[in-house]
Amino acid sequence: MTRSSKLTHGLLAAVLVVCGATAQAADKVTVQLKWLPQAQFAGYYVAQSKGYYKAEGLDVTIKPGGPDVAPAQVIAGNGADVVVDWMPSALASREAGVPLVNIAQVFNQSGLMLTCKKASGVASPKDFKGKTLGVWYGGNEYPFLNWMTKLGYKTDSDIKILKQGFNVDPLLQNQAACISTMIYNEYWQVVDAGVKESDLITFFYEKEGVATLEDGLYVMEAKLKDPAFVARMGKFLKATLKGWNDAVKNPEEAAKLVVAADASGSATLKVQKRQMENVAKLITNAGTPKVGYLEPAAYERTVKVLLAGGSSPVIKKDPGKAAYTHAVWEAASKK
Amino acid sequence: MTTQVKSAVAMVGAALLGALLLVQLPAAQGAAPPTPLFWLATSAQALLAVQSVRSLAAFNRPRWMGTLTAALFGLWLLYFWQLLVVAFQVPRVLLPPPVMILQSMLEHWPTLWRDFTQTVLKAVVLGWVLGSALGFGVALAIDRQPFLQRGLLPLASLTSTIPLVAVAPIAVMWFGFEWPSKAAVVVLMTFFPMLVSTLAGLQASGKLERELMHSYAATYGGTLLALRLPVALPFMFGALKINASLALIGAIVAEFFGSPTSGLGFRISTEASRMNMPLVWGAIVVAAVTGSLAYTLLLRLERRFAFWHPSVREAVGT
Repeated sequence: MTRSSKLTHGLLAAVLVVCGATAQAADKVTVQLKWLPQAQFAGYYVAQSKGYYKAEGLDVTIKPGGPDVAPAQVIAGNGADVVVDWMPSALASREAGVPLVNIAQVFNQSGLMLTCKKASGVASPKDFKGKTLGVWYGGNEYPFLNWMTKLGYKTDSDIKILKQGFNVDPLLQNQAACISTMIYNEYWQVVDAGVKESDLITFFYEKEGVATLEDGLYVMEAKLKDPAFVARMGKFLKATLKGWNDAVKNPEEAAKLVVAADASGSATLKVQKRQMENVAKLITNAGTPKVGYLEPAAYERTVKVLLAGGSSPVIKKDPGKAAYTHAVWEAASKK
Repeated sequence: MTTQVKSAVAMVGAALLGALLLVQLPAAQGAAPPTPLFWLATSAQALLAVQSVRSLAAFNRPRWMGTLTAALFGLWLLYFWQLLVVAFQVPRVLLPPPVMILQSMLEHWPTLWRDFTQTVLKAVVLGWVLGSALGFGVALAIDRQPFLQRGLLPLASLTSTIPLVAVAPIAVMWFGFEWPSKAAVVVLMTFFPMLVSTLAGLQASGKLERELMHSYAATYGGTLLALRLPVALPFMFGALKINASLALIGAIVAEFFGSPTSGLGFRISTEASRMNMPLVWGAIVVAAVTGSLAYTLLLRLERRFAFWHPSVREAVGT
């Protein structure tokens, strides 16, 4: 080799090493889920397992939630860049001093229900008076409190409320006449425990007119001022929505990936597949260009439901357009 | 007034004056970022505060001086907490200033009172009484029948090793969501300390005294009432004091796992999820004050009933 070609080769090698080094440095994103690892969050696990995040140059850490993990609290304490939360909790946190902004609405239908045993004497919402009803707290109590106000029940005198944990025991042990359930999860836990579906009566929040938007992605308002952050979230959202489209199209594969990602080992294939099929019913936009887009009309509907809380509304002021942004969704659908 | 009293009064007065002047600075009111002058003034005030507490702590004679010194120390802690949180503009959801906590407590007083009744007056008190009584009873049984010591004591020690967070959901499943399940958890937590302390106390009476009782032909019951139980009192009071804090902790943590919608533990977990930190701290203050009052009450009772014991008596010469 001549001296000049050695120099050229050396420089080329140095350039390649530098390029390689910078290419290794992936952008880090931490997402906090709202509950334990399950098909409710299949999109994120699918996107991670199938390498969609890696393809966007992102190093994503998925933090599972649980009964005492409030996503708004985690992001307020800087424990995550983006959280999965329900809109009532996010708007209430906004009023309490944690300025969350919706960047995507993954679930566009509500899956929240109140499931009662027919034997307890409940046949319609009129029969709730004097009964014990189970409600999750930690941000999930707002739709319920709203509905009770709409029905005209006072929560400390007309009905008795139980703070539900993460299981359906209150209904099974007849400690409560009704419990809060999700169409994709707790309802099937009750059925799996041996209660016949014909012995149950279920009230869908969507049908009662008090449904609010559920699983969506939220970030802190201050961070959206940074264009690099918006771009990073755009990439994250693009890969996530790709994962969700895959999950809805192929529930069995999604269930397998969720079970593999569950460190506790408590997720089983049969349960997760059933959950994924029910979650898919809530993402009606899957497979269309509109997937993950927060419809302003749906947002207004949720805000209206929350403001109509009578003497104790969930939120006191209309947060207006500041509580959501389409900038990240547009960045995700552009590329 | 002696010079010591005069200088103490002057020191405390100067510290209080300095505190009032410091809050006038704009940085202290959160209106401007902290300036070097603010830091200088804060350091000077900290020195003044320390000196004021030391000047009061030097007094031994009036019994209430100790309480006054502690109160002044607590006041300084609250003052600097308020000052620094406002000056640094710490987000309210991370650490609210004491004034905001007080406002929240006054605003939600009926709620906090209901929570206090639900947790303390029902679960804690009943659980503590039952658990301690059970521990005492089993200790007497073990003392009477020594074979129980070999059989029952190891099993009883297992109750102290079961983690609280494992027992609470099981108690909720067995006893329901209301306060009985929380009382059950408290009984489990308070049983073993009382058992062990009572046993140690019963064995603490001296051989000479027991031989004296024997020479009086005293029955087992007579010896127990006249000699062994009084000697065991300081041990039992120690266990009761420990059990008071354990009972409070147990009841509050047990409420995290399923409860009706009132109770200090429920309030703390729910309001924390709602980002309503001032009320969370308010509930914490209620729990802390309850614990302190319970401890003080037990201390008073100990002074009344076990006044003769060296640990309770005033030292000779003071």
